Amino acid sequence: MRYTDFTPYDLVLLLQGLGVSVGLFVATTLLGGAIGLTWALLRYYRVPVLAHVAAALAELLKNSPVLVQLFLVFFGLPVLLQTDLTPVQAALITLSGNTAAFLYVIAVSSIEAVGREQLETARVFGLTRWQVLRHVVAPQAAAFALGPLTGLLVNQLQVTSLVAVVGVLDLTKMGVILNLRTLKPFIVWTVVGVLYYLMAKLIARLCGALETRLRAHGTSKGMA
Amino acid sequence: MIQIEKVVKRFGASTVLDGVDLVVQPGEVVAILGASGSGKSTLVRCVNGLEQLDGGRITVDGHDVSDARQLRAARRISATVFQLFNLYPHMTAVQNVALAPVEVLKLPRRQAEQDARALLASVGLAERADAFPAQLSGGQRQRVGICRALAMQPRYLLLDEVTSALDPEMTADVLAILARLAAQGTTMMFVTHEIAFARQIASRIVFLDQGRLLVDLPTAAFFAPDGGLALPRIAQFLSKMTTV
Repeated sequence: MRYTDFTPYDLVLLLQGLGVSVGLFVATTLLGGAIGLTWALLRYYRVPVLAHVAAALAELLKNSPVLVQLFLVFFGLPVLLQTDLTPVQAALITLSGNTAAFLYVIAVSSIEAVGREQLETARVFGLTRWQVLRHVVAPQAAAFALGPLTGLLVNQLQVTSLVAVVGVLDLTKMGVILNLRTLKPFIVWTVVGVLYYLMAKLIARLCGALETRLRAHGTSKGMA
Repeated sequence: MIQIEKVVKRFGASTVLDGVDLVVQPGEVVAILGASGSGKSTLVRCVNGLEQLDGGRITVDGHDVSDARQLRAARRISATVFQLFNLYPHMTAVQNVALAPVEVLKLPRRQAEQDARALLASVGLAERADAFPAQLSGGQRQRVGICRALAMQPRYLLLDEVTSALDPEMTADVLAILARLAAQGTTMMFVTHEIAFARQIASRIVFLDQGRLLVDLPTAAFFAPDGGLALPRIAQFLSKMTTV
């Protein structure tokens, strides 16, 4: 057997890489989602100063390349804070921030898409601002958000591939390693691409199922 | 008692309400008539605190609606039915009706939903209680809207052109329900274009013209030749309404 041949262990390597990519995706989605939602809440409650800080942060993050942000975090932050960052930590910070920025944008526009009369009605019936959000605004906004959210999540999965550059052993990095050893780029990158594709389809499928459930009330104004 | 004193409301340069005085006593059914743009709906939106006053004062059983805390108390004892229903589209009829009783009155959900079903049944919607608004006709939606208001057991019912978005047959259904409520002694302040209906159920009629309260008369006096009809503006308005 030549060293350039594929071995069964290569499959294990690829699956390990896939695990790292998916883990990174799930972790940064949860973390970024929580941060983005918090920013959106600051805006909903019109918290002075903080609401503007959140908007400015989101604006900065969504208008600069993720790769640049990653370099800034991985190479810049340790210098600034006089600490060490592992590649995984840098990846977590960067991708969470990026997800947060885009989730904030989706959350804000979805909340604004809920009719003003819905808020007024609930307020007139004596619901507090939190109760209005919880029972009237959030369920409707969630239904509006799911389409854009699906697009965002599928995209954020692909974006995780950038972290290979700073040395995270994700699916793409495994592809790089296998490619260097086997010198069969067409096969390696096809397999890697198909794995990303399958994960993306899975995410879209899950979101689609959720969307069907959230829109169980059928067609009404603007929610068809 | 709903007490409206010298209320002024401006939108930009235009004065929509210009010193309106009005008192609604418990048990009264007060109809507010007037041409489009006369300020009728704005007056209702001032009473339930959806508009901020530019002058004057509104109290509901002594609670000043311009004060955030007192507004909460005022909203607790009054309920509004809207022209375009404003049902929550993601909730069934029962959930629409039970939401505020559960969240605001803190009733147990089971009891609130039981009450909601009973209310819906009383307006002929027993079979549609679990339907979403999108699955209901306009008339059915407005009946849900009325149930949602009644579920709060309000002392005052505010109705803002509740039949304007309905066809004549559905209008008749909704008006029959309101007539029944009036007969039961429900206090109502309602904006309407249905002159005949106002004449049938209102104890008093108030006529708004360009933000000013032109007359405030008992219903019989309003329609008497030497009463409201003696005023040219009202005679002109009523003559344009074919329903009289």
